Amino acid sequence: MTAAKEINLTLKVWRQNGPDDPGGFEVYRAEKISTDMSFLEMIDVVNETLTLNGKEPIAFDHDCREGICGMCGAVVNGRAHGPEKGTTLCQLHMRHFSDEDTIVIEPWRAKPFEIIKDLVVDRSSFDIIVQAGGFISVNVGGAQDANNIPIPQDVVEKAMDAAACIGCGACVAACPNASAMLFVSAKISQLALLPQGKPEAARRASAMIKTMDELGFGNCGNEAECQEECPKEISITNIARLNREFIKASFFSSVK
Amino acid sequence: MQLEAKSPEGPLAEKWDRHRFELKLVNPANKRKYTIIVVGTGLAGGAAAASLAELGYNVKNFCIQDSPRRAHSIAAQGGINAAKNYPNDGDSIRRLFYDTIKGGDFRSREANVYRLAQVSNQIIDHCVAQGIPFARDYGGLLANRSFGGAQVSRTFYARGQTGQQLLLGAYSSLSRQIAAGKVQMFPRREMLDLVLVDGRARGITARNLITGEIESHDAHAVVLATGGYGNVYFLSTNAMASNVTAAYRAYKKGACMANPSFTQIHPTCIPVHGTYQSKLTLMSESLRNDGRVWVPKKPGDNRKPELIPEADRDYYLERKYPSFGNLVPRDVASRNAKEQCDKGKGVGDTGLAVYLDFKDAIKRDGEEVIRKKYGNLFQMYEKITGDNPYETPMMIYPAVHYTMGGLWVDYNLMSTIDGLFVLGEANFSDHGANRLGASALMQGLADGYFIIPYTIGGYLAGTGFSEVNTDDEAFKESTAQVNAKVEKLLSIQGRRTVDDFHRELGHIMWEHCGMARNNESLEKAKSMVQTLRSEFWEDVLIPGVDKDFNQSLERAGRVADFLEFGELMIIDALSRQESCGCHFNEDYQTEEHEAKRDDENYSHVTAWEYTGDDREPVEHREPLVFENVQPTQRSYK
Amino acid sequence: MTWITSTLGSSVGKKLMMALTGLSFCCFLIVHLAGNLSLYGGQDFFNAYVDHLHSLGVLITFAEWGLLILALIHILTGVTLFFGNLKSRPNRYAVNKSAGGRTLGSMTMPYTGLFLLAFIIFHLFDFHFTDHTTRTVFQIVSESFSKPGYVVFYVLAVIIAAIHVSHGFWSAFQTLGLDHVKYTPLIKGVSLVFSWVLALGFGLIPIFVSIST
Repeated sequence: MTAAKEINLTLKVWRQNGPDDPGGFEVYRAEKISTDMSFLEMIDVVNETLTLNGKEPIAFDHDCREGICGMCGAVVNGRAHGPEKGTTLCQLHMRHFSDEDTIVIEPWRAKPFEIIKDLVVDRSSFDIIVQAGGFISVNVGGAQDANNIPIPQDVVEKAMDAAACIGCGACVAACPNASAMLFVSAKISQLALLPQGKPEAARRASAMIKTMDELGFGNCGNEAECQEECPKEISITNIARLNREFIKASFFSSVK
Repeated sequence: MQLEAKSPEGPLAEKWDRHRFELKLVNPANKRKYTIIVVGTGLAGGAAAASLAELGYNVKNFCIQDSPRRAHSIAAQGGINAAKNYPNDGDSIRRLFYDTIKGGDFRSREANVYRLAQVSNQIIDHCVAQGIPFARDYGGLLANRSFGGAQVSRTFYARGQTGQQLLLGAYSSLSRQIAAGKVQMFPRREMLDLVLVDGRARGITARNLITGEIESHDAHAVVLATGGYGNVYFLSTNAMASNVTAAYRAYKKGACMANPSFTQIHPTCIPVHGTYQSKLTLMSESLRNDGRVWVPKKPGDNRKPELIPEADRDYYLERKYPSFGNLVPRDVASRNAKEQCDKGKGVGDTGLAVYLDFKDAIKRDGEEVIRKKYGNLFQMYEKITGDNPYETPMMIYPAVHYTMGGLWVDYNLMSTIDGLFVLGEANFSDHGANRLGASALMQGLADGYFIIPYTIGGYLAGTGFSEVNTDDEAFKESTAQVNAKVEKLLSIQGRRTVDDFHRELGHIMWEHCGMARNNESLEKAKSMVQTLRSEFWEDVLIPGVDKDFNQSLERAGRVADFLEFGELMIIDALSRQESCGCHFNEDYQTEEHEAKRDDENYSHVTAWEYTGDDREPVEHREPLVFENVQPTQRSYK
Repeated sequence: MTWITSTLGSSVGKKLMMALTGLSFCCFLIVHLAGNLSLYGGQDFFNAYVDHLHSLGVLITFAEWGLLILALIHILTGVTLFFGNLKSRPNRYAVNKSAGGRTLGSMTMPYTGLFLLAFIIFHLFDFHFTDHTTRTVFQIVSESFSKPGYVVFYVLAVIIAAIHVSHGFWSAFQTLGLDHVKYTPLIKGVSLVFSWVLALGFGLIPIFVSIST
């Protein structure tokens, strides 16, 4: 390891006790933070101090802490998952901050992401979108041999690029319009690219987009902020594919 | 209590087929009359919930995270095994069976492991049909890679995110059933008790993690797929929310806990670097294909690794195991790293690390080749440590990764409680004393997609059910107990945080019941855990209130269970006076410091029965009979 | 026919309408610019072009109504999208920072759009809905551009139009799903070149006219 330093920070953290509470920023000191710590470990340290001082610790979602579960996330100094590219909050390390920095920490903000407490938001809208059609309708037991349909390597690689989405919600958080298009397009793309997903591609695109709209997400402005903030660096080329799938479904299929 | 494995009679290859025929069936129209609770949405739970709903059962599915898509199966990297034999390199169901049972050091049940190998191929078929983008060759057919403990290439993979892709596949099937109304999903719920009526599992008591409400849910059967308990060590590669609570509370209601001391320590993890650390990160073991493991010859040599000349380096794995070298199995590699560090030869600030050096591989193949093979891993390493492994050797150290032990189940995956089924890492069944790489995903999906749908039908069809609902006395009693425990925890208002206790427990377990154990230190650890537990109940400080989103309270409940469960692990380790697989008792080793098995006295599964908070658990033994394989001593010289 | 309303009423449907109408305006701008270049040919050349244009009669009326309808669709849909987007994030961030995806054009689309609306109205009253009986179009133009304030305003408007188009042009292709690993870089390049051509082509005219008269 490169020699770890200790730094002191000022945190401005959004505290909100439930969805109906107006909420507001509180200021805390984070003292003697090792630069080897992850951002969440830094919050752990602050929380230990808060607890011992008889205050309620900052509520935040987190689980795997290795950048794959998609549970964590907050807007740090105006950037979803903080300033590093292709990085979830749990994989952001304190060596990217300097002594006596002030760090502003806010929850994801979007109408469909209601705040549960402090930095914890409700992302069940993502599940609802997937339930609308983000699957291939195949029952256990009915599948043919896995090698029966060859799939070109470049196609499967593209599908995998899209499938890498961890559903963290950073795309919505980063989008100036709070649009969920990158998330939805990643799932639509993955399944539209693969031969197994083609039979219900039209139904899927139509239903998922409809559900996305009903949930109150904003509209895509092709600004590509989502692509820049996505911890898995999912490309907006998937959004173009979603648009294509939408046109096919709307104008060239029998799906209504 | 009698442990009946219920392995079917007949030749090994015909057992599962015969059993499926003999199991009673539930008429399709009657399936909708049954409700099944599935706790957990990982590979096992998610797959079970989806496939049971596809059959027509009503499913209530619970998960601790905000979405079923986040279960910790998502973090599995390497791949999933199957006996497809696509590479034509001599694989077969029997070979996968043999490798798995040998890898487990002959401490698992033949019939279960064979069935696992049998259904492995169907898993791949189903997953491809679900749209999982497995890696493919230029010809468009599925690619395979090799993994530890096998001489054939049988591992299917989706980059380094196989677990994620398989989990999202199960999640998509689950989502389809939620939309169809067959699965009712309960996210952000933690199961805190199992409810028994007339001796059968008939429901659960759960806490709504947002509101803090205690809820009762009834069903005809309960399926636990709640993962492993590696977080008893505080630091592990497990997710922060992974815990033993659901399984442990079932244990307290009468389900036997089997082989709890069997814990796998993975050799290639990024070392611990500070007391604040919350989590360890695994680096795929494939790195050992090209990296060379070494430590300085002289203890306390703290020169920079680049400045230590070849003559002063000890490539100890290559020296001790000339034929396998750096590719010895996980348990051997882990133990040797510990041995070197114990001798004071460990490197880094803490002295708890060894070097994994790619200098020679880069010199041989060029940086580009190495980048292509391991680029993402090197990047991840650099992100976490700030070191560039192309220039300076990586530092690695073993970390707790997987727990082979778990609730005891029979061939039907039913525990010692009627109607309580246990799947995936939460059960003990298929990996014996050591799990091979890429087998956990296989087992989770086998249990969920292909085994439970048959065996639970047999149970439901063969059982007469009384009318039960959540107004029953058993549910009220359970709710009262859970509430009382929550109140007690909050009333302590002591001086130490939950994490503080957890960290100390983890330290005790790692030091005394980790990679290598001995009777004396296990005895010592047992009393240390007892002391810590009583301190916890006197001095823990939990802020906030009960009926609220309270993460400290959530963790407190889990740590309280770990503090009891840790002792059970130690008791189990003490009862097994041999070394096998990952259970390495230093008092039982060969002259070359290898694990010395005692098949005569310990060829059995140990299953523990809870008898009360202040009483020792009762030990039961399920003898392991090997009719188709001959247990041998492993050697990697 | 409910599928049409539900298609066009969806978020992607609205974007499709923006893209198609926007691309139509791009085409219009090309024709408009080509015509305006005749100003460089001098008074007679320009007036001849104008006369020829007006001789198209019903065709020109058709085009004008077409443009009006396209404009109404573009503006109304744009405004709907703008307010819809505001509603999707009722609570704003205290700190906003771009990750590098946004451009000057993309960031200002609604505002440049509204400015352009105002400009077009002004432009129409200045040149179109004005007294054509006593003056030739060339005279109207020279009169306008003899006022330095008008020149500055027109040049500014043209720059803003170019900024609007710099995002709008490639964005329309993206919305129409016309994305390809081989051609998208080209489209983005064309988008940039196109907005420069607009800026220079239209922007130099007022300056040229004000200097030459």
